[in-house]
Amino acid sequence: MLEVQRLSVNYGPFRALHDVDLTVQEGEIVVLLGANGAGKSTLFRTLSGLQRPSAGTATWRGVPLTGGRPEFNVARGVALCPEGRLLFPDLSVEKNLRLGAFVHRRDAAGTERELGRVYDLFPDLVGKRHAPAGSLSGGQQQMVAIARSLMARPQLLLLDEPSLGLAPLVVEQVFAAISRVNASGVSVLLAEQNAFAALGIAHRGYVLEGGRVSLQGSQEALLGDDRVRSAYLGV
Amino acid sequence: MTILFQQLSNALALGGVYALVALGLTLVYGVMRVPNFAHGGLYMLGAYFTYAVLNGLGVPYVVALLIAAVAVALLAALLERLVFYPLRNAPHVHAMIAAIGVLFFFEAVVQRIWGADFKQIAEPIPGILNVGGVVITWQRLLVILASVLAMLGLNFFLKRTLTGATIEAMSQSREGARLVGIDVNRVGMLTFAISGALAAVAAALIAPIVSVAPSMGEVMNLKVFAIIILGGMGSVPGAIVGAFLLAFAEVFGGFYINLDFADVIGFAALVLVLAIRPQGLFRRGT
Ligand SMILES: Nc1ncnc2c1ncn2[C@@H]1O[C@H](COP(=O)(O)OP(=O)(O)OP(=O)(O)O)[C@@H](O)[C@H]1O
Ligand SMILES: [Mg+2]
Repeated sequence: MLEVQRLSVNYGPFRALHDVDLTVQEGEIVVLLGANGAGKSTLFRTLSGLQRPSAGTATWRGVPLTGGRPEFNVARGVALCPEGRLLFPDLSVEKNLRLGAFVHRRDAAGTERELGRVYDLFPDLVGKRHAPAGSLSGGQQQMVAIARSLMARPQLLLLDEPSLGLAPLVVEQVFAAISRVNASGVSVLLAEQNAFAALGIAHRGYVLEGGRVSLQGSQEALLGDDRVRSAYLGV
Repeated sequence: MTILFQQLSNALALGGVYALVALGLTLVYGVMRVPNFAHGGLYMLGAYFTYAVLNGLGVPYVVALLIAAVAVALLAALLERLVFYPLRNAPHVHAMIAAIGVLFFFEAVVQRIWGADFKQIAEPIPGILNVGGVVITWQRLLVILASVLAMLGLNFFLKRTLTGATIEAMSQSREGARLVGIDVNRVGMLTFAISGALAAVAAALIAPIVSVAPSMGEVMNLKVFAIIILGGMGSVPGAIVGAFLLAFAEVFGGFYINLDFADVIGFAALVLVLAIRPQGLFRRGT
């Protein structure tokens, strides 16, 4: 289980997250809704170890994630597919994916197996495997980014706005893939602004506003909530 | 024809040496995003270490070259730990100034130990090779072959090994590299070590042709910075192309126009390229 307790993050004097409490149970997909600047990426960067919190705790299966060492977190089964993708643009798609398995570098057979699985998940990438990742379309780059984080064989996958800027058809493809990954046993925390697709596949959700959790509930409760409907579903 | 070929072999040898020094500098810039102004100092130390090992231990030239390469590699890794690592979160100008300080420190130490006068290293294979009227000194041939070999080795390491890929990955996205689990501190140290080894090899190769002096590091610094700016900061192919462009401009410009003009020509080429492509030859515009 992911357990976030009273987590606060500052950028200098500016507090981007205030006392955030949040959990993800084993096997769940949890969606994190929030407008621009709500603090979604700040939370994700903190959970991945890129950013250190000023207060509070975050643990995965009891192991603290707040040591400020991303290589430690990914080795403990928590992988982030970040906002902006952060791919290695001049390296081939396949090299990006192989680097995704860096923490399993002594298990070559496992990496080959995982490579087969992610190509199976995103067949579009097979034909592009030797192309520089930076030369792909936005949707395909997003697939590479998700696939690269899967190569670490995470138990908890953190996805920061994977649908951002993608065509509706590609969004559908990406969300179908996320569902499949979850069905294979990976817990997922998914940040989204476009709430409709996200709530479609999520079990539960949280709404982040101004760095605070303003609302939480099950998929049905959030889909039925008036505030969510007007702010994030455009209904 | 003979003279042309001689100029050509001069330019190739010089270009090979420039390339080895510039490659290390560009790799370090790629992963650290800070120019290492002490790089010329590492090159200069490579020459002195070779000189000292040759005279002190009496080992063959190739062994001296390898010992110097290992020693400078270790020193460069230490430089990363003691100077660049502690300043990683400070404004970049701090690390730049510290590196310049290190360069002058190296020079002072070398001058104290070996004096300010020129040192000579004997050519391991004296004389010339004459193939049907085409003449080249053995040392120039050795420089060309060894630098090409070193570049091929580096290319193999970067493109075909996972450790090499971590260097490229870190230079393309530092945070992306951290997220896949790469320890960026180790990669930083490793890259420094490689840059030191390459600089030392280059110095050991060229030392029998030029003379060894404490100021050789500063002179080389100017040239390799011009080269990597020309080729695009952080670009590996850019460093190689830039190195040979500068070497050819210097050698042929010096020969056909005026020897005093040689250094100016290189920098004129730099200004010209930057006027047209400010980001350098091999870097995408941002
Ligand atoms: N490096 C930084 N330094 C200072 N302030 C920052 C930094 N990164 C983010 N912020 C601020 O923190 C707040 C939360 O930003 P964050 O990126 O976490 O929001 P977000 O929910 O991910 O937004 P978006 O949907 O636009 O990605 C914003 O007000 C933002 O301006
Ligand atoms: Mg964000």
